[in-house]
Amino acid sequence: MIPAIIGVVALVAIFFAVRIIKAGPRGEPGVVSFRKHIDALSPEARREVMDRVRPPDRDNPDEPRR
Amino acid sequence: MARDLAIDLGTANTLVYMKGKGIVLNEPSVIALNRQTGEVLATGREAWQMIGRTPGYIVAVRPLRGGAITDFEITERMIRLLLQRVGVSRFTRPKVVICVPSAITEVERRAVTDAARRAGAADAQLIEQPMAAAIGADLPIDEPVGNMVIDIGGGTSETAVISLGGIVALEAVRVGSFDIDASIQAFVRREHGIAIGERTAEEVKVAIGSAAVTDDESQAEVRGRDLMSGLPKTVVLTPEEIRFAIDDVVSSIIASVVRCLAKAPPELAQDFLVRGMYLVGGGGLLRGLAQRIEKETQVPVRMSNMPLEAVVMGAGHCIEHYDALKGMFMGARR
Repeated sequence: MIPAIIGVVALVAIFFAVRIIKAGPRGEPGVVSFRKHIDALSPEARREVMDRVRPPDRDNPDEPRR
Repeated sequence: MARDLAIDLGTANTLVYMKGKGIVLNEPSVIALNRQTGEVLATGREAWQMIGRTPGYIVAVRPLRGGAITDFEITERMIRLLLQRVGVSRFTRPKVVICVPSAITEVERRAVTDAARRAGAADAQLIEQPMAAAIGADLPIDEPVGNMVIDIGGGTSETAVISLGGIVALEAVRVGSFDIDASIQAFVRREHGIAIGERTAEEVKVAIGSAAVTDDESQAEVRGRDLMSGLPKTVVLTPEEIRFAIDDVVSSIIASVVRCLAKAPPELAQDFLVRGMYLVGGGGLLRGLAQRIEKETQVPVRMSNMPLEAVVMGAGHCIEHYDALKGMFMGARR
């Protein structure tokens, strides 16, 4: 019985320890998150998506248009 | 493992961008149903070809009007089929970013996210179309300068001023290129006494429609049904007639652009004179529209390189950088 209780307590302790480690410091400072946001909108960050999307063939007259 | 998706759920067309892959689907937002059984018979391009040409038991409908869901159940079925076509199943539930008009109500917003979740998305976030369009049009919105984007879609026209990754001023009207088609239909009915369909009106707009006088003008022969005799009839339409027919809609779009310019802070307003405004969306392809906006606002107007894909490309960028850009999603700021 006692080993089972110790086991459960240990599991609960490990669970909370993992959550605390994963959470890291509370919230990201505004400066850091704003910088990340702006950097993600930079032309360099957008290049990947722009390069991936090639202009499609628009020669088909039967194509619906907006 | 599901690949996350960005969806431009437009009144006219639906585009899907898959993370790491690019645009994987670009189809008209149309669904064809069997009226008696409620079964879906076709979606996308196949259903679009059925508009106005169906027997009594089939109905081909656009479940979105003015960028808003008019039929929740049909929209949900359409989204489900679209997601299935790009490989989403009950075991692969992706995160989805959906572009919506900025002026949609809380109820409409809930309807879109609920439809996407029920259709198989693990999480559905919304982003305003003009913001996505500005990202997709490759405007320098990360800089402290005024970027102005005009997105003219099938059911809505939105103008936004964007600086430092956020919307500074916004103006939206529920008027778009479908209203231009409807104006042409009404004009031909009133002035020539013939009834023409939605698709014919769109073809007339593409062939000879313009918002201002252009160099290459020609007339168009249009076939429809004579309202008096009921017999097929052909009439010739001129570009002047079409300009007159669509003038109210075009003027309403330009008025919203002017209102947005008036809302912009003076520091940003001076940037527009140098950088210009960017036109995106299928409605922006109307001949002479850029010149007319430029004439009435005295601000240069430039066409985006990929006007039809700009919105989904912007949303695609948000799905590629989901964590860094999640502050841009509509729910995150309200």
